[in-house]
Amino acid sequence: MIVENTQTQMRKGVLEYCILSTIAKGEIYASDIIAELKKAQLLVVEGTLYPLLTRLKNNGLLSYNWVESTSGPPRKYYVLSEEGRKVLEQLDKTWQELAYAVQISIGDRKVK
Amino acid sequence: MNKTIIININGIVFHIEEDAYEVLKNYMTDVKRHFMNSDDSLEITTDIENRIAEMFNELLANEHKQVIVEQDVRSVIEQMGTVEDFEHAEEDTNASFANTYHNSGATRRLFRDPDEHLIAGVCSGIANYFDIDAVWIRLAFAVIVLAGGTGIILYIILWIVIPKAVTRADRMVMKGEKLNLQGFKKNFEEEMGSMRDNFSNFKHEAKPFVYKTRDFIGDFFYHLGTFFNGAGKILLKLIGLFILLCCFGALVFFIVAFVALLGFGQFAPFHDMPYGLLKHHHPEYIYTAGFIVIAVPLVSIILLTLKGIFNAGSISRSAGTTILVIWLFAVAVFVYDVTRIAADFRASASYSETINLKAGKNNTYYLKLNDLKYFTAEDSARLNIKDLAPNMKITDDEDNDFDHFHQRVRLSIEKSDVDQPVLVESYHARGKNYDDALTNSRNIKYIFTQQDSLIKFDERFYPKNDELWHDEDVYLTLKLPINAKIIIDRELSRVADINVYDCNELNKRDGNKLPEATFVMTDNGLQCKVDTMVTDTVLNKHLSGDSTQKLKK
Repeated sequence: MIVENTQTQMRKGVLEYCILSTIAKGEIYASDIIAELKKAQLLVVEGTLYPLLTRLKNNGLLSYNWVESTSGPPRKYYVLSEEGRKVLEQLDKTWQELAYAVQISIGDRKVK
Repeated sequence: MNKTIIININGIVFHIEEDAYEVLKNYMTDVKRHFMNSDDSLEITTDIENRIAEMFNELLANEHKQVIVEQDVRSVIEQMGTVEDFEHAEEDTNASFANTYHNSGATRRLFRDPDEHLIAGVCSGIANYFDIDAVWIRLAFAVIVLAGGTGIILYIILWIVIPKAVTRADRMVMKGEKLNLQGFKKNFEEEMGSMRDNFSNFKHEAKPFVYKTRDFIGDFFYHLGTFFNGAGKILLKLIGLFILLCCFGALVFFIVAFVALLGFGQFAPFHDMPYGLLKHHHPEYIYTAGFIVIAVPLVSIILLTLKGIFNAGSISRSAGTTILVIWLFAVAVFVYDVTRIAADFRASASYSETINLKAGKNNTYYLKLNDLKYFTAEDSARLNIKDLAPNMKITDDEDNDFDHFHQRVRLSIEKSDVDQPVLVESYHARGKNYDDALTNSRNIKYIFTQQDSLIKFDERFYPKNDELWHDEDVYLTLKLPINAKIIIDRELSRVADINVYDCNELNKRDGNKLPEATFVMTDNGLQCKVDTMVTDTVLNKHLSGDSTQKLKK
């Protein structure tokens, strides 16, 4: 249970960073974000993404544009806002620090 | 072959099989419930719905088909993730939401159990609350009901007061289950409640009495319905048959009455209501209108009963509308005529006339009912009575007058303040205004005759215009001096409140044989004269000692 909890916490923290990073690459549709995250094995189901995107948008980190679609309703294409870009820079920095910290912590221990 | 449903997801139309639709609906309900406490629930669920629509479109395009089947929905859900997946991913964000439920989930709450109800689920709800078998509560209720019936009232009160477990959350709280998303999922299949159901869950606390009562009434009829559906089906049929028979009987009666009135109304041997009211008012209109006013609802009840209970026969909309219009028209005609007739009774008038009578010999009076038939001048001319029966007495009898009960006079006998006997005739009638009423009352003719001490009263009065009824009344007051000896014929009790039979019995005579009895006028009014030879002292109290002595010969 503790293991699961820690895993969830770790994943959750990283997930937002990854989403912001993915969007930072350019205007992107939600299902494409999912495809990327699935590739990275961070996310399994699409449903979890939408609340996250909504929250990030409400925090002013994201915005979206409606784009007409041939295969369904209009799509939301997400872009990073100016604030989001700043946050991402901070997160980049934090991640570097974390990665370093983890590196140090693991040390010589072999990680499979 | 499967039934398909057309659904609309944010403006895009899909054909979906019924099973698939159920799965999708359950899923979306679940999702909505999950995000319910989020401020952005609408946006999130719309995003998800849009994505589902898109996935459907892709599926249909890829597989070149037109209808979404259950498998498609399942694969979409798999891709989108179930509520458990969401929960795993966002344990933190939803922690508070889950906590509120965890707290309330620890205790049980009293609800009516809609799943295991016998009547309204009160007993099983109580049983759930105490976590015992519902049988014991029901048994207890049965005992209270049998012991005086208060249980029924108690049950109804509880029915109103205890809310029904509408939503899954209610049911889980009722059974003391923990309220979390797993729990929701666990018994989700049992319920297809929509988003709104769940919201009403929160309103239960503050639900005003009115709504509870409304719920109760709704419930009552619902359960009544299920009762009739089950064991009461036969009972319902019997009631239906009874209604049908009653309506048919009434209908036949009214048809016969209608035809009889219409066909033979003017020859009717009775001057009775309502015929006496209607003679001058084109009665056939009123009869027809009245008949329609009564017959249409009867026929409607018959048809509705046939349709509702026996599921047979029906009436087309246009025919129904036509009949309704005819009925309303008939009601209008009927009401109009009735109002017009009622207008003839608006005012009342009365006057009285005092006629001096000759004092009887020895202060003795014989009172009788006139047995001679009275003929109006026209009648006697028409029947040529004078020529044909100059020496005949044409007698009146009881049966001859049965239809004139409303023309019967009322006679009372009182003491006179003076020695002179008088008869006060008081006439009453109604009319459309006072003049009319007074004219009507003056048109009343009443006949009595006096031959020495014999006074003969007619049983009825004769309105000059015999046709129409004006609520006429004639009250006669015969005022006789004190100590007058009055011999009253038995027949007179038909118009006066005098019991000749009892008076004879009081004197130990056979009341059935004797046609008359002797009374005396005392200070207290008319009294039966009791012969002291045969009476005991107690009865003497009724009469003053003096008069008894005096009258005794």
